[in-house]
Amino acid sequence: MIDYRVSPETQARLAEAAEIGRKELRPAGLEADGRGAPIPPDDAFFERCLARGEGGTVWAGPDGKRATGPRRSVVERLLLSEELAYWDRGVIIAMPGPGLPENNVLSMGTDEQKERFLGPFLARDRPRWACFGMTEPGAGSDAAAIRTTARKDGDGWILNGAKCFIGGASRSDWILVQATLDPTKGRGAQRAFFVEAGTPGLGGFKIEKKMGLKAYESTSFTLDDCRVPAENLLGGEARYESSAGFKTAMRTFNAGRPQIAANAVGMARAALDESIRFARENDLLGRDRVRDRIEAISRKVRKARLVCLKAGWLADEERPNIIEASMSKALAAQMAQEATTLGLELVGLVGARGDHLIEKLYRDVKAMDIVEGTGQVQRMIIARTLVGLPR
Amino acid sequence: MFDLEPDDELALVLETARRLARDELVPPMRTHEAERSISKALSASWDEVGLSTLDVPIELDGAGMGCLARVHLNEALAEGDVGAAIALDPYGPALVALLETGGTDAARTLVEATDGGTRRALYVDARDAVVREDGNRLTLDVAWVAAEDAAALVLVDDAGARLVAEGLSFDPVRGAGLRAAGGARLRLEGAPIAHRFENPDGAARARARARLHTASLLLGILSATCSFSADYAQERQAFGRPIAHHQALAFLITDMRIALDAARLVVHEAAWRVDQGLPCETEAASAWAECIEIARTLGPNGVQILGGHGFMADYPVEKHMREARALSLLHGGFDAAIEDAGRALVATASPLALGQEGAL
Repeated sequence: MIDYRVSPETQARLAEAAEIGRKELRPAGLEADGRGAPIPPDDAFFERCLARGEGGTVWAGPDGKRATGPRRSVVERLLLSEELAYWDRGVIIAMPGPGLPENNVLSMGTDEQKERFLGPFLARDRPRWACFGMTEPGAGSDAAAIRTTARKDGDGWILNGAKCFIGGASRSDWILVQATLDPTKGRGAQRAFFVEAGTPGLGGFKIEKKMGLKAYESTSFTLDDCRVPAENLLGGEARYESSAGFKTAMRTFNAGRPQIAANAVGMARAALDESIRFARENDLLGRDRVRDRIEAISRKVRKARLVCLKAGWLADEERPNIIEASMSKALAAQMAQEATTLGLELVGLVGARGDHLIEKLYRDVKAMDIVEGTGQVQRMIIARTLVGLPR
Repeated sequence: MFDLEPDDELALVLETARRLARDELVPPMRTHEAERSISKALSASWDEVGLSTLDVPIELDGAGMGCLARVHLNEALAEGDVGAAIALDPYGPALVALLETGGTDAARTLVEATDGGTRRALYVDARDAVVREDGNRLTLDVAWVAAEDAAALVLVDDAGARLVAEGLSFDPVRGAGLRAAGGARLRLEGAPIAHRFENPDGAARARARARLHTASLLLGILSATCSFSADYAQERQAFGRPIAHHQALAFLITDMRIALDAARLVVHEAAWRVDQGLPCETEAASAWAECIEIARTLGPNGVQILGGHGFMADYPVEKHMREARALSLLHGGFDAAIEDAGRALVATASPLALGQEGAL
């Protein structure tokens, strides 16, 4: 039955997220932005994250009995993502934890791999990170075009290539690296490998300078005859029949697109609230022009949120959501840019000073239309289904 | 909690409505348009289906399924032919306007004035009319209504609603669209006000429901234009391939679909709020503004995709474009909608904060 309610439990979690956001995330994000550098791995901020119970894994432990808390629906996760991004999207990406590849390990990893790579996140003795190494200098949205190679070498694999824009790579305990056995054979030849920190051949870490989202590191690195053991192949060889290797990445993307969309919605909502606050403080609310801008931002946020939640609801229902996931990403990212643009127009030259939250949001939010497939790529994906656009 | 699946009853209603739209509204749409009315056979068929009182309260012998069901139904019917959808609906938003401003007894007066819905009632927003009230007499001029006859008029303004059941004068006009429902300039010259329901809050909700009612009709048109143009683009060949496979058009079709789906969700969410008794005025104004905004591009783009064919009356997209624009002018149009929504939004610090009132 059609219902747009948020459960009391979800409301409570949203209120908790808002409290953390107000006290921790927003200040940390502003500080990192001002400093122009990521939050250092040894910053007390991350210790506080651990103390609050963040930075762990949802893996239930080797015997499957570890309490992992309530299993959250995709819709609830999207709502929480929106709320957290409202306070600072860069900081939530910087948070410790197994991050993006956790779902891949949970869904495709062997039991041994789950214990070995997710198990340490149960310890909570120090902040730990992991990351997903997909993007390359020559392969961004076109994930099928990666050139990092994997070559069988006895009972191990030799990896060679370069990755870029990888969140938290230099501080990660391990990186799930996507590589290809043969660049000419497309998606079916792709594999994912756990590459642990300190593995010989893994190096050249360079933290990039970015326009926004400065709280977390986006890092390039190289794999130079980097040898990993056979047991570091995600899921083992049996998993990699037909095109399953590529699907390792695409599964992440399918789950990730509404997540990015929810982030964009949260950031746009922040711009909306800042716009209203600025207008109120400057006695501008009586002007039609100002109200029209606020109305336009609000309307865009509202619709993007609903499209995003629809994509999440379909995922919860285990129904195909390829179109909706791409729609949410295409719409929300573009909407958020418009929302921050309108917000900046409202604050006028104050926004040009470089110290206003909406100006930061304007820089931060651009990435939402790039990561996990640009808006153009999303449209290609949708068009393939809608009108049979050839690949 | 969050769920977008219609229940079985609504699903059945929609299945019926879509079948009727496809089989009985689409084929004769040009005939209905030319004749400025729907056929008696269609009226009879519709009466048998019994969906015209879907959102009428059970106490008034309706189905009592509410606003959300109504907007779903409207969209399904308007996807076939919006003019016929209007002609088939005896009350439009008029009955619920009285329900919101005066309760069940007020709504009953309209049922009686229309002989149980056998004749049509019209809803007019005062912002669409030139209105002069003199005691209990109403003088009014509306440049266009999608009707050539009606038993009663419900006029809604900021203060409440007025019911007029005599003295309605119709001067037929050509009409930019929706001709299957008729088209006329509506005038009253000192017509007696049969009932007056002073209720500003109720009037605001009545306006919200009227906007959603019309927004859902607009969604139906836009859905039809999106589907038709996308199908056409996959068949029509140019430069050696379907035109849909040229990226410029593929992206255009994609953006049209995204816009439509998003607008549909905001309309549905606002209608759900109506049924829940939650504040809905801002959401409805916003949903109406969104539908108008996307109609500005989707209508013309539907024609554009068909090129020269789109300009011809051989295809429905030119009709969609005209009718979407005409419909968009109601209820004070876009400007009134963003004005209403904007004023409400700036009254709060964080208007879209999550979890307020347990809703989104």
